[in-house]
Amino acid sequence: MKAIRLVGVSINAIFKHKMRAFLIILAIVVGIATLTVIVALTQGMNKQIIERIQNFGPDAIVVHSGGGKIRGPSTAAEASITRKDISDIENIEGVKLVTSFQVALDMAIKYGNKFTTSWVWGVESNWKDAWRRGASKGEFITDSDNEQLSKVCVIGQTAAKELFGDANPIRENILIENVSFHVVGILEKRGLSPVGTDFDNLVVIPFTTASRRLMNQPLYISTARVIVYNPTDLEPVAKRIKEVLRENHHLAAIEEDDFRLSTPGEISEMVKSTSKTLKLFLWLVAVISPLVGGIVLMNIMLMAVSERKREIGLRRAVGAKKKHIVVQFLAESIMFTFTGGIIGVGAGIVIAFLINLSGKPISITWQPFAIAFLFSTFIGLFFGIYPAKKAAMLDPASALSQK
Amino acid sequence: MIEFKDVTKSFQSGSIRTDVLNGLTFKVEKGEFAAIMAPSGTGKTTLLNILGCLMKVSSGSYLFEGIDIETLNDDNLSEIRNKEIGFVFQTFNLLERTSALDNVLLPLIYANTYPADAKQRAIQLLESVGLEERIYYKPSELSGGQQQKVAIARALINDPSIILADEPTGNLDSESSKEVMNIFKTLHRQGRMIVVVTHDINIARNAGRIIFLKEGKVEKTEVLA
Repeated sequence: MKAIRLVGVSINAIFKHKMRAFLIILAIVVGIATLTVIVALTQGMNKQIIERIQNFGPDAIVVHSGGGKIRGPSTAAEASITRKDISDIENIEGVKLVTSFQVALDMAIKYGNKFTTSWVWGVESNWKDAWRRGASKGEFITDSDNEQLSKVCVIGQTAAKELFGDANPIRENILIENVSFHVVGILEKRGLSPVGTDFDNLVVIPFTTASRRLMNQPLYISTARVIVYNPTDLEPVAKRIKEVLRENHHLAAIEEDDFRLSTPGEISEMVKSTSKTLKLFLWLVAVISPLVGGIVLMNIMLMAVSERKREIGLRRAVGAKKKHIVVQFLAESIMFTFTGGIIGVGAGIVIAFLINLSGKPISITWQPFAIAFLFSTFIGLFFGIYPAKKAAMLDPASALSQK
Repeated sequence: MIEFKDVTKSFQSGSIRTDVLNGLTFKVEKGEFAAIMAPSGTGKTTLLNILGCLMKVSSGSYLFEGIDIETLNDDNLSEIRNKEIGFVFQTFNLLERTSALDNVLLPLIYANTYPADAKQRAIQLLESVGLEERIYYKPSELSGGQQQKVAIARALINDPSIILADEPTGNLDSESSKEVMNIFKTLHRQGRMIVVVTHDINIARNAGRIIFLKEGKVEKTEVLA
């Protein structure tokens, strides 16, 4: 009951000093809004990374020909993987399926007088199972296409848009590096890769056609995608693939790999490391700005204490204990920061949505609310305790005699 | 009953020591109306602060209802101020932007028990000092005399054993002064102990006994009634 009366005193004081309340709350709102926006943005970034990794496939290992640290798919020109490598990988325990494909980057594609460049992948029919991505319209590449070295293609939606606009590309013929291909289907949409390239700017053709007619690479395979039964087996399977390939390629212990493996874990590490510095900076801003709000609070509260000395003296004279004065001023601080926290989260969410309109990913979850409430209460306590103690420690007799 | 026994109070400011009270001894009995006459600048405020348990003595002892104030801690002193003492100040000391009613209720915020009829009691007290029309007025909307009456009502809300007034008419015109002193006389007739500290002999003459101070000691005592 007494606590309620004391909090009532604080509420009255807030309403009696509206300008002061406005300034403190504004400072806290700015701080908490910044925090909320940054939480929403970094969580949006994380969500995007996770989505892209989902695009890549959480149960997939990609085996690239050629060593080194270069990222992205290997092209047919650096192909070093053999048919035997693929069948050995298929026999590794835990492997569900392996699909081989030839990759050529930035091939010239023409339709009538329209021209674009796109990735061209030579694929086997099980490519669609390995990527969980087939034709959204028309047919996909079949085994018989591969046997007959058919000149058919399935076109990705970005490439289709470039060449055909809104018209239906199926049953049209396009030229890939001046070789004519018959469009039999449109690929399902997939979006961006983990490193941000467009997975829809792609034309797929039969593996054999790519190897012999387009890329002149009949013996080797540029890339293979390995799907495991259980995502937890990824690391041991990747290790085993490495051993098998090194043995098949007769690599001595001192020689480097002439292939590369990409796993979802490795990709997420790579993506995360590039955004690490930015995130660190953002978090720094996120933490500092509410602290600045706290300093403003402390400043104004200290001023309030010295302005209200006479009031404090009077309250002490009519029976307020030191702890009552502490409670009064601390409750004022916490109410300021709490109100600022609530408004700040609201403002932050609005700002985050505005940023989202410009295309940046955001994610609004319960965390910004929890963080804002905890942080603002903490700031109220931390920065409010000193002015409150100072008010309580005033000598009542001299406080009363203040003019 | 309150009793000063050989009380001294001195203040140290750098190397300069100022002795304000120099062995002050007096008693005020229960139900008595006493005035303490002291010229300005002779430790009147210091004496009042000690009487009101807002300040401790340098030596000697101050007994409040037989309890030596020196033995009490800060919280105990707050409780005594809350329950046993009603302050009336020269400058009224009302909370600004706060209604007369809420000003009267102020001490109850800090009381251990909040009476159910608190508001009723505060209104009655305001009525008893003639402010029944001004219950929701703020200090800035009241005259000096009316503000002092609010302050008296506030001093009475916890039914204290002593009313302690510091130049209660110092900021009032003669008409209001008379009214305020009449209220004190009425309270005295109702059996309350009243101690008025003043430098104005005309105000002091309202009391039953005047204690004259000089150089921090009792110079003489004059019984009037």
